Amino acid sequence: MPHQCTNCGRTFDDGSKEMLSGCPDCSGTKFQFQPDGFDDADPPSDPELSEASSGSDRSGDGPSGDAVSRTVGSAASTVRDLVAGSAGPDATSASPPSDGGGDDDIIVAESEPVDESHAQADARSQVAGPDEVPGGPGLAATDADDETQASDEETVDSPAEPDGVDPAAESAGTAGPSEDDASTGGSDRSVADEPDTERSDRPDLAQLREELNEQFESIRVVEPGQYELNLMELYDREEYIIALQEDGRYSIQVPDTWSGADV
Amino acid sequence: MGLLTNLKDSISRAASTLFSEEDPKRIGIYGPPNAGKTTLANRIARDWTGDAVGPESHIPHETRRARRKENVEIERDGKTVTIDIVDTPGVTTKVDYTEFLDHDMEKDDAVRRSREATEGVAEAMHWLREDVDGVIYVLDSTEDPFTQVNTMLIGIIESQDLPVLILANKIDLEESSVQRIRNAFPQHETTPLSALEGDNMDEVYDKIAEYFG
Repeated sequence: MPHQCTNCGRTFDDGSKEMLSGCPDCSGTKFQFQPDGFDDADPPSDPELSEASSGSDRSGDGPSGDAVSRTVGSAASTVRDLVAGSAGPDATSASPPSDGGGDDDIIVAESEPVDESHAQADARSQVAGPDEVPGGPGLAATDADDETQASDEETVDSPAEPDGVDPAAESAGTAGPSEDDASTGGSDRSVADEPDTERSDRPDLAQLREELNEQFESIRVVEPGQYELNLMELYDREEYIIALQEDGRYSIQVPDTWSGADV
Repeated sequence: MGLLTNLKDSISRAASTLFSEEDPKRIGIYGPPNAGKTTLANRIARDWTGDAVGPESHIPHETRRARRKENVEIERDGKTVTIDIVDTPGVTTKVDYTEFLDHDMEKDDAVRRSREATEGVAEAMHWLREDVDGVIYVLDSTEDPFTQVNTMLIGIIESQDLPVLILANKIDLEESSVQRIRNAFPQHETTPLSALEGDNMDEVYDKIAEYFG
């Protein structure tokens, strides 16, 4: 359920054509992006790159959702698994839909838009405490509570912490809120500095990021004021993003031709 | 039925924009940040209309919204070429507010500038897809032209079959190397200039008339 109308709360699947002509319910043109990966609580039994590549295999399992979004979702969750508690605030607030457990969480989340929107609302409104900041001390514990996973210990805090940026940032819009709050809280320097060193240590994460970027994002919010742009995506899209907000929201310009085509 | 009518309308609209003599061609000035796009746009606009297009700055991403100057009439060899000039924000794959902190900017301002610059890139890419009939691609000849942005943009422009004029700007600077740009894009002609000093502008206008006239 990657997109949500910020006006009426209606949700749309990734790749949904409905939202392209504005929200059918309220005609709103502001949407918030909510990637699948945040609902996904894959058991990180095999936190390797292979898990991400197996994402495409898994795409056949679910009744809904397209292969790309599924792959992205599973890849994102792999990243998050790798980094254990790093997704702190989001994992915590988005936990209700993931109660079902397992790979099917993506689908569960899609079928429970209400839970998801609450979770998102929480994530947006909550001010992330220092312990929730990626890299913060309390993260591993938070995550372990939610998803008692053996590999949390394997990945340990130190390598995992800096990558807290990744799952959040890969989702661009969604992760925005908590990250924004966190970084405006003064922790941005550590967030900004650490991923580079980390990336070189763990090339598989870099590959995953690359994969996600290529598949998905046109503008990735690394943190407020730091953006990575996928020029081909920006060019290929008929709609274009006319306004970014640091809470992860964005406005798109809907081409006239779309509304005209239905008439 | 309605669909057919729509189709017919849109075809005739497309045909009229393609073949109409009166409509000035819309020429987008593209390139990476700080290549001198606005300086060039201002130079062209001042030379032929007396007005400027927008403020220039040494700080990257000064232009964060596409600015248009319409009906710029350029006279060459007794003929007049009329174009609309669109000065676009510099295209880049990364925008980082910390870059602006070096320019004595407060963090809040730097973050805002960064966000606006990102929106500007999105806008520039959108214009490239939808709204330009030709491209003036401006490169800073003191910089390495082999970048992802340049390769990708030139590739997109070529795939669109848009006429493109490649300009090697800042030849007034010592480190300038026009040849490096020629080598980077051998499939296109490269015209050297200094938009700031007005060097070689005559040739630039010749080329504009030749490419977009």
